[in-house]
Amino acid sequence: MREIKLPILPTTSVGSFPKPDYLLKARNQYAKGLISYSTLYELELKATEEVIKMQEEIGVDILVHGEMERGDMATYFAENLEGFTISGLVRSYGNRYYKKPIVIGKIRRTKPITVDMFKFAQSLTKKPIKGMLTGPYTIADWSFNEYYENKRDLVLELAEIINQEALDLEKAGALFIQIDEPAVPTHPEEINIAKEGFKISTKNLKSFLITHICYGDFRPIWNEVINFPVHQFDLEFTNNADKLYPLIEKYGFPKDKYIAVGVIDVHSHRIESVEEIKARIKEALKYFKPDQIFVDPDCGLKTRTWEEAKAKMENMVKAVNEVREELIKEGYSSEIKIKMEA
Amino acid sequence: MIITVVDHYPKIPNPPREPKLRRAIHAYDQGKITKEDLDRVFDEVTKEVIEEQISAGIELITDGQIRWEDGQSYIGKKLDGIEIGGLFRYFDNNTYYRQPIVIGEIRWKEPIILEDWKKAQEWAKDKPVKAVLTGPYTLARLSRDEYYKDLEKLSKAYTKALVEEVKLLEESKVNYLQLNEPSIQYYPEDFDLFLELYKEFRKIFSGKLAIYTYFHSLIPLKNRLKELPIDILGIDFVSKKENFELLKEFPKNLSLGYGIVDARNTKLETPEQIADLIKRALNYISEDNLYINPSCGLEYLPRERAYEKLLNLSLGVKLVRGDKK
Repeated sequence: MREIKLPILPTTSVGSFPKPDYLLKARNQYAKGLISYSTLYELELKATEEVIKMQEEIGVDILVHGEMERGDMATYFAENLEGFTISGLVRSYGNRYYKKPIVIGKIRRTKPITVDMFKFAQSLTKKPIKGMLTGPYTIADWSFNEYYENKRDLVLELAEIINQEALDLEKAGALFIQIDEPAVPTHPEEINIAKEGFKISTKNLKSFLITHICYGDFRPIWNEVINFPVHQFDLEFTNNADKLYPLIEKYGFPKDKYIAVGVIDVHSHRIESVEEIKARIKEALKYFKPDQIFVDPDCGLKTRTWEEAKAKMENMVKAVNEVREELIKEGYSSEIKIKMEA
Repeated sequence: MIITVVDHYPKIPNPPREPKLRRAIHAYDQGKITKEDLDRVFDEVTKEVIEEQISAGIELITDGQIRWEDGQSYIGKKLDGIEIGGLFRYFDNNTYYRQPIVIGEIRWKEPIILEDWKKAQEWAKDKPVKAVLTGPYTLARLSRDEYYKDLEKLSKAYTKALVEEVKLLEESKVNYLQLNEPSIQYYPEDFDLFLELYKEFRKIFSGKLAIYTYFHSLIPLKNRLKELPIDILGIDFVSKKENFELLKEFPKNLSLGYGIVDARNTKLETPEQIADLIKRALNYISEDNLYINPSCGLEYLPRERAYEKLLNLSLGVKLVRGDKK
């Protein structure tokens, strides 16, 4: 038995941080062939150091590496796997476009994709860094498929690959691995494919497993999703409180699982006050036990500015510290202990 | 048989062609160009996509909805009683729309698509241009209703406002009017209300009136489709294969908008595959009652692939036409 000790109401974030301007510029130049990959890579490392430093200064408990090397959470994996090519631009909303991956052949992983950046980030801090992966269903759903007979075949192939990647992250020392599946609620009729893929992705893993799912209506799939083989669900309780809490009230939440409660709106420029965030944490305390709750923003912070992301995280940590004091006064232990299989 | 498209067309091309519109919108947002400059680019790009559709062999085209951010807010922002809210996922796509928030009585106040249609028809010369709107039921379902607090009242209010627009389209001699109603597939229990709404449009529009659905199944409404007071019903046969069951007993009083080219995946259909699918429909539906089109709007594809898809679609139709001679 292993034990992970954390302060009560551990603070974390979902995954991405905003890229500093120099990195955005460098990515743009690299795309045009004006700078070399090694120049870009150096700047990705520099930005990663800054993201780690920011989180340490704010006092976050479980850090993320910030995804400075990733453009889009699905496309990044596609770019690093055989069998994919990247399409022309497709609009996602307003004036925003992205390059959607196309599966054109059998998908193969020729080398670990995320391990080097994980190791680099972990070398900069004593706090744990989460290993960050995108789930097989989401990569499949956000890609064009020109090769596999059907979506299930594609999802299951990707599931094996994500599993290998997760095993490599564990070997590199990851205590926490997060496999995000935001696309799952969009096709309730395919929940069995998503579930089958997720099971494969997580087989033989011993780390603390997290999944982040957002942007959707959980109602038709709640009872399936809640049984995904993870230790923790990370959900957007700020923008979706009106949908999520009624579900939890009606169907309950597994006593043996943890919840990361999103308390920050990542789509708004406004910096929520400490009081507002405290109210959101207290709302969560009505539905979950204090030692079940982690606190984080609703989703990745990459669409905010650096200053906004920092200010939002600062207020979040301040709010958590104040609620912790109150909990300790009420007699709760200042620490939670997570028991894991060896 | 008429070769057509559903609604939108990709707004920007890929290199070496310039993403003119993306740049112009960005410059406009930063205050670097005026509204007039931006409008000029909207017009230029609309002309380009009209030419592209015609050159691909499309016989009944649209303006490509180049000015539309999405199907809801383009209409919502021109109506009284509506504010535009946050981003929401558009059905099962990795695409988002800004949600209309209904905060007061919905009222028509200015032309919505009339000017767009007039310009597009002028540029398209002898090719007919469809006027396309999002239908009142789908608008109601995709809005946040803080005023009527009742779906029936809300969808009737949207209908009343859109009817004002349709009166203008009728006066301007629009021959094809299409309303997009994907939402009705998800709530077949609302079909009686849906029929009521469409009776209002039928009263005032004398041309070909179409409803297009996409992304989902119409099987639950199978026995009721004949009650629709319209001329053309568009169905997506790619997203839900079960829709092929509708061919056999497709109502004789309707034409079919036969959505058979996958507008959400880059995999290219061959003209032969398209010809086979058309022959399958011709077993049950007469040639005069068929519109052949992609499964939905084309913005889910990169521009060049959308064009290739249309090209193969029209080649497929030509194969069938050639076979018959």
